[in-house]
Amino acid sequence: MVIELGHFCLALVLTISLFQFIVPALGARYNSIGLMRTSYITAYLSFILVFLSFASLTYAYIISDFSVSLVANNSHSLKPLIYKISGVWGNHEGSLLLWVLILTFYSAAVAFFGKRLPIKLISLVLSCQGLIASSFVSFILFTSNPFIRLFFPEIEGEGFNPILQDFGLAIHPPFLYLGYVGLSVTFSFSIAALLIGRVDTIWVKWVRPWTLIAWVFLTIGIALGSWWAYRELGWGGWWFWDPVENASFMPWLAATALLHSSIVAEKRDTLKAWTILLAIIAFSLSLLGTFIVRSGVLISVHAFASDPSRGLYILMLLIFFTGGALALFAKKAASLKSGSLFQPISREGALVINNIIFASSAATVLLGTLYPIFIDAINNSKVSVGPPYFEAVFVPLMVPAILLCAFSPMLSWKRAKLENIIERVIAVFIFSILFTAIFVFIYGGSASAFLGLFLGLWLILGTIYEFFIKVGTKLSFNKFFKRAIQLPRSAYGMSLAHIGVAIFVIGVTVSSAWRIDIEQPILKGETVFINDIELRFLDIIEVNGPNWVAERGKFEVIREGKNNEYLFPERRFYPASQVNTSEPAIMSNVIFDLYVVLGENLQNDETFSLRVYYSPFINWIWFGIMCMALGGILSLTDRKHRLGYSVKINPETIYK
Amino acid sequence: MRKIYLYLPLLFFFILVIFFARQLILDKDPSKLPSVLLDKSFPSVKLNQLDSYKLFNKENLLFIGEPSLVNIWSSWCAPCQIEHEFLMKMSDEHNIKIFGINYKDDKTDAINVLKLNGNPFYAIGRDEDGTQAINLGVYGVPETFIIDASGKIRYKHVGPILEYDMNDIILPILNKIKRE
Amino acid sequence: MRLIILIFFYIIFSISLVHSQEALKVNNIEAKELYEELRCLVCQNQSLLDSDAPLALDLKKLVLDKLEEGSSKEEIKEFLVERYGEFILLKPTFTIKNILLWTAPFIFVLFGFFLTFLFLRKKTSQKEETSILSEVEKEKLKKILNRDILE
Repeated sequence: MVIELGHFCLALVLTISLFQFIVPALGARYNSIGLMRTSYITAYLSFILVFLSFASLTYAYIISDFSVSLVANNSHSLKPLIYKISGVWGNHEGSLLLWVLILTFYSAAVAFFGKRLPIKLISLVLSCQGLIASSFVSFILFTSNPFIRLFFPEIEGEGFNPILQDFGLAIHPPFLYLGYVGLSVTFSFSIAALLIGRVDTIWVKWVRPWTLIAWVFLTIGIALGSWWAYRELGWGGWWFWDPVENASFMPWLAATALLHSSIVAEKRDTLKAWTILLAIIAFSLSLLGTFIVRSGVLISVHAFASDPSRGLYILMLLIFFTGGALALFAKKAASLKSGSLFQPISREGALVINNIIFASSAATVLLGTLYPIFIDAINNSKVSVGPPYFEAVFVPLMVPAILLCAFSPMLSWKRAKLENIIERVIAVFIFSILFTAIFVFIYGGSASAFLGLFLGLWLILGTIYEFFIKVGTKLSFNKFFKRAIQLPRSAYGMSLAHIGVAIFVIGVTVSSAWRIDIEQPILKGETVFINDIELRFLDIIEVNGPNWVAERGKFEVIREGKNNEYLFPERRFYPASQVNTSEPAIMSNVIFDLYVVLGENLQNDETFSLRVYYSPFINWIWFGIMCMALGGILSLTDRKHRLGYSVKINPETIYK
Repeated sequence: MRKIYLYLPLLFFFILVIFFARQLILDKDPSKLPSVLLDKSFPSVKLNQLDSYKLFNKENLLFIGEPSLVNIWSSWCAPCQIEHEFLMKMSDEHNIKIFGINYKDDKTDAINVLKLNGNPFYAIGRDEDGTQAINLGVYGVPETFIIDASGKIRYKHVGPILEYDMNDIILPILNKIKRE
Repeated sequence: MRLIILIFFYIIFSISLVHSQEALKVNNIEAKELYEELRCLVCQNQSLLDSDAPLALDLKKLVLDKLEEGSSKEEIKEFLVERYGEFILLKPTFTIKNILLWTAPFIFVLFGFFLTFLFLRKKTSQKEETSILSEVEKEKLKKILNRDILE
């Protein structure tokens, strides 16, 4: 019964969101406030109903209602509760429902915070959101319905892939969706701006915080996914340039560009058309990601069971929304009045370079990911594009961005004098080179390691230096402290985010350049030496888990001056699904990770195949990314970014 | 002039869509690799004899002077068991000569499969460590090559040959080659 | 002009960066590099290095054997491409076929600079137009000023 109610709610949402699409748009066209006002109600209503719908599906999973086809296929009564819940979105149909839930949530939030926005603007925004919602709801109802019942209920579910029962894996989709779908808000704002025919300060002041929210979630989601993959998948890697990973990375790159271009749009009233185009592209990349994951056109570790008919439907959606938006852009962008001039060497100039680099990166990742499809069509041959390509191409692109990042905040708007900052640049350069040289001299390293370290140091030192200059040099400690507190939070946010980038770069450089991989058979009692660590294979025992049996190895980690620690890697066998998995044992700290994987039993419990990865500074990678996200959150708490920014005019005033 | 640039994103997007649509409509499985050995001579392979069955090597293909199949199979491979009946059909009813390469298999298990389910193979060889199959570009079992009378590879079928594959793919191709 | 020289050096620099990876040449390291460049054909989207599939192990052994025999990395890659096609390479070849793929990043960046250049140039000329008085306006201004002085 609950499921039927959920199904009914979703059907209602289809009608309501169609209403939300048509009526406010008509209201905007014919200047009817009443019609436009309906958008608030429909937005709230849509969210409540989708929430109820989602809740009913979750309920079915929790009580393991195997009369529901989806639950029977994807869940199992023995699954721990948390994985039953996360199983709701661990499949195609359920994840689409989550998508729509988050979409309507954002629409409701925009309606709530936008009560004092010019009514025409907000009704067009919500109308666009309504169109997106109705498309996806109809996609769900007609091709991917999670509420279908089985005529004969199953006794037990079939969904028991042990690899999927992991906290990091369970939680990263919601974060990613909060990111992807959040970009729909800026998309709708762009459509509204194009339809109205102008972009003013209100628009930009609204766009920034919503982009920032989406960006923060996307950043966290990608970090979680990468961290999970590293800890669970057993070969010490954390990014594989897999099509699905790229599908989440491209919107992130576009959103980062958007964040920076909207700064220029806000401060200097220029680059508005470009900002709108970026917002359209960012959301389109989200849609493209949805398409890639679910259509089966590309091979991926992550893809849901692919279905070309679903793929065609999503392609239609893509054509409609992206094609429509780009067509609208082509027609109307020229009429947007462009603002002020700037010199190439200026803050605007630096931000433009940032945008060129990030946009080019997104385009490059897109090309690399889709290239096999192109070649197959043109040449009928199969080519594959993997990590070696992306790494070779992505790093040179990012180097100038990082170089610029340290100093752009020091450039003045409109026209900057390089002479003013050249001394600071040189100072930071010298110190960075010096410290890097010392490090590489002690520990040895290749040219690329040197470069990576240099860039990381350059960015940290440059950012800190810039911060001090901003607060004020030559001040007493008290004065400095007072002034520092008065700095807007967005300044702190920016510095923190940029430092996060630097930490990330250092983490990537060190963990790959100084990594040690060992792959060998190991005898019980034998010791492996890695740098100054001794790893001794002590024992192997058999262990029983809730739904698995395993061979668990006991390894001792001996370091001078530190207590001995023990690691227990396992090789598990799940009888229900007849699957063998390896559970790595990881010893983590700030300086390194020791990653131990127990392989096959080579000889009667005496010899096992062993893989050990020593990755220095690898946790700096995720720590750096989290700093970026924190920086974003910090910026959000700045007053000027409050979500409900509005003007003190009569909102009922209808402006042209 | 600026107006034209504004249409560029739309243009690129449509080019993208065309490629996607083609991919979807053709419904290709992106994980299936077509053979790069098409129209090339079947490579030499060094195989071991399986019991007393006639040993397969490259010369057989030329000697028989007619199109044939080379099938890579193992006793531990489930789809191979399923396609076995269709191999038998092709061998018995359609008089097609099928050569077998037993891939990374145990001698006894292989012999048992043939004794139990029948032997569709005109000649068989064993590739014990899988290195010979690498020369053929094999990446999974079962795979089947269609060879023409002059010993050239004309088609590679990845995966088991089931009824549909036999009637709609393999047999038509063989007939086409025969008529040449 | 300076910008062009900068871009030129940047391109040279990044090309050399790509090739600096070929520095260390110890057998195991060579093997590892090859594993990272070859695709495991059985498992979705993994390199030979990451994969434990039986075919991957066979191919890894083949690579090691050939390295020991003295084949170069290029020869081994060619050997495998002859049998499996270019699909087995994770790093697309530097051929005409893939020229778009390898030059694309630079083209994108250059295109971005080009658009920016156009944008800035157009804006400058706009500003100039509006800040130069037309002849008619100049005459009017003269008349007004003269009138003021006389009165």
